[in-house]
Amino acid sequence: MKDTSYKDEGQFCSGHVACAGCAEALSMRVILNAVGEDAVGVVVPSCVAIILGGHPTSSARIPFIHGVLESAAAMASGVKQALVAQGKEDTTVLCLAGDGGTYDIGLQALSSAAERNEDILYICFDNEGYMNTGGQKSSSTPRAAATGSTPHGKTTRKKNLIEILAAHRIPYIATASTSHLPDLAAKVEKAKTIRGMKVIIVVIPCLPGWGVADNAVAKVSRLAVESGVFPLIEVEDGLKYTMNVDEKTQPIGPYLDQQKRYRHLSNEDREGLQLDVDESWNRLVEMADR
Amino acid sequence: MNNQLSPIWTHLTSEGRNTGTWRSALPNYQNQPSPCHGACPVHGSIAAWIKQVKDKDYHGAWLTLVENNPFPAIAGRICHHPCETACNRGELDETVGICSLERFVGDMALENGWVFPDPEVERTQKVAVIGGGPAGLSAAYQLRRHGFQVTLLEVSGGLGGLMRHGIPAYRLARDVLEGEVSRITAMGIDVRLGVEVADKEALARLHGEYDAVFLATGASLPKRLPGLDYDQNFVMDSAEFLAASPKAQITATGAHVLVIGGGSAALDVARSARRLGREVTVMSLEAEGHLPAQAVELTEAAEEGIRFVSGAMMVSASQHEEKVTVQAQMVDFQPGNGPGKFTAEPIKDSTFALTVNTIIPAIGQDADLDRWSGLLSAEGPVLDTTPGNWQTNHKGIYAGGDVASMSRFVTHAVGMGKEAAHAIAATLATDLPAPPPSQQAEVAYARINTAYHPRHSRNLQELAATDARLKTFDEVQQPLGPDAALSEAARCFSCGTCIFCDNCFFYCPDMAITRLGGAYEVKLDYCKGCGLCVAECPTGSIHMQEEAR
Repeated sequence: MKDTSYKDEGQFCSGHVACAGCAEALSMRVILNAVGEDAVGVVVPSCVAIILGGHPTSSARIPFIHGVLESAAAMASGVKQALVAQGKEDTTVLCLAGDGGTYDIGLQALSSAAERNEDILYICFDNEGYMNTGGQKSSSTPRAAATGSTPHGKTTRKKNLIEILAAHRIPYIATASTSHLPDLAAKVEKAKTIRGMKVIIVVIPCLPGWGVADNAVAKVSRLAVESGVFPLIEVEDGLKYTMNVDEKTQPIGPYLDQQKRYRHLSNEDREGLQLDVDESWNRLVEMADR
Repeated sequence: MNNQLSPIWTHLTSEGRNTGTWRSALPNYQNQPSPCHGACPVHGSIAAWIKQVKDKDYHGAWLTLVENNPFPAIAGRICHHPCETACNRGELDETVGICSLERFVGDMALENGWVFPDPEVERTQKVAVIGGGPAGLSAAYQLRRHGFQVTLLEVSGGLGGLMRHGIPAYRLARDVLEGEVSRITAMGIDVRLGVEVADKEALARLHGEYDAVFLATGASLPKRLPGLDYDQNFVMDSAEFLAASPKAQITATGAHVLVIGGGSAALDVARSARRLGREVTVMSLEAEGHLPAQAVELTEAAEEGIRFVSGAMMVSASQHEEKVTVQAQMVDFQPGNGPGKFTAEPIKDSTFALTVNTIIPAIGQDADLDRWSGLLSAEGPVLDTTPGNWQTNHKGIYAGGDVASMSRFVTHAVGMGKEAAHAIAATLATDLPAPPPSQQAEVAYARINTAYHPRHSRNLQELAATDARLKTFDEVQQPLGPDAALSEAARCFSCGTCIFCDNCFFYCPDMAITRLGGAYEVKLDYCKGCGLCVAECPTGSIHMQEEAR
């Protein structure tokens, strides 16, 4: 039987206020435990900040700095410099942000940190929209998905952040999913051993934002991976692409059917999305073959 | 709380917040019967013992198996395995080879000489079991486990009934039969061979001497084929043929044998005759593809060169010197309501002739009920018994197996023996209430999260080569090796049986599940009731239950 185990040493605490069944809380559990005790966290406005916070309590055992939305990577860079100045080179700086704070508002800071190859571990919880402010679209929202600000479906494609980051030639970029928990933990462990900029993008099917059932985040994540909508990959030094799941075993249909944000789609729309997926997948296969 | 920190610092964890109040439903760990368990004639806790095989706890698996069936090595060879037909895995790729795994465990027990545990208490009450076939042996075994003093009366010279006198050695090796039967008698059962309980007076006398009687005399009277003169020397009844030694079988048959019938007994006759070097034709009323024998038997018989004439009826047979001319006609066979009932409408202008040397009809057996008439009442061709406890109209006399049921399968007989034994035990000893029948629904395929069960085709038992098969009565089906058995066990979904995989623990976003070693506990303070643990359970053994507040 497929294994789901990962190390859990209590680094993430019960009593947090994530929605029931939240994939982001589940991912945080895996990531915080893989990162361990010797770490300092930086977080910007997002669901993660809400799940972590609620002054004067925290759901994380490591300290976190809450900052402004534009500057996740900049703050993390500063924290790292301060730790280095104290002789704590080995302390991990863990930077948590949503896709709004990564693809849109925080992109400048992220790009600069990447260009400087700062020694930080940056996690983007990608729920493809501004989900805790009422579900507006972000540049990560995929084509055709309905959001509060694109009620008839977004007309443009999802921004390809992986290729943007790869263009910076940072040491490590990976994608992860709650359908593959040991893979997520292993990617965090691997990132910890790498000096320089590491970015892991985790797909987060958002219960209210995507219109997913309370018990279905793992199922939807799994379908995202199996259909090739959200491939599990690693990119090393911006050049070496590895596909962790190298086969598409599902059409896009079952993935779309699980989500209310796609229920307005016509069959033509669905076929169009399938073509998008196929094209992106083939491009990845080519890059992985290089 | 750390008082040294300024109040502007975060100094508490979120654990003080009781998110359990958000919940409207709560996960509940509840083992539920699997479809195989429901279909199994002995209700053999299949998911449980296969889980033990997965864990390489083979002795534990055997102990679980023999709670319900003292013959795992036998059933693993000859059971008609309705469990496999019911198996949920069939919807994903192929059903699990439950029989081959049962044989694997059963053979291991025989090789290692594992014995049944002694009864926990010795009881003074005495029970007589009449008939040493699968039903009688099963009842004797279960009663002895409960500590009763059991006397087993068998009319023939050996125990096993149909398993000895009806099933050929190439399907059930004799050392396996001996091993599993002697393990039962070694429990301290008073076995009396060659003893016949001839009539109702003898039965009534016996009932006077014992606290209860279990009657399992089987179906000993061959059904007669109309239009066939059984006194002719070219006719031999199937039961007589199968019970005979190979030497006697050779003497009794000519070069070309016609077997009439389409069930397992017909196939047993045909394949035995083939092993004596005979040319064999099997003629059945049922059309091709509808023969009641098991599919695997039909395949193996065809491989062995047996010819099938299906959808046909014998009209007459006449002998000229060594040759027997059989006149036959094609029929439109329609099964009727219930076992043994059918119509066979002859098709016009479809007569044909066959030339053979011997005819062996194998069209079934009836129970001899006349012996008991006046004491025990009958319901059609079988004794009248109370559903569930198998008591006849005569209090204290129970009946099972072919004498009480038209389900003519060995494992059905074993199941009846078990149920009757539990009913007898509950009557004789107040500390042994009969186990209540399970009312729980079986786990449906939709409850299994198949993402955790990668596709894997069935691990098949190898068959002996066809030409080698025809030279001996050695077993055709070869056992699974240890690696194949483990691989096959791993294919089991364990429907409704927790396998402690920890998926529920690892998938909880609220850390609300605690592992207790052999159990899980839900932290009521934190569980938000999302149901992710239920959705990610690979066995369907967690349920969401609404909570009233």
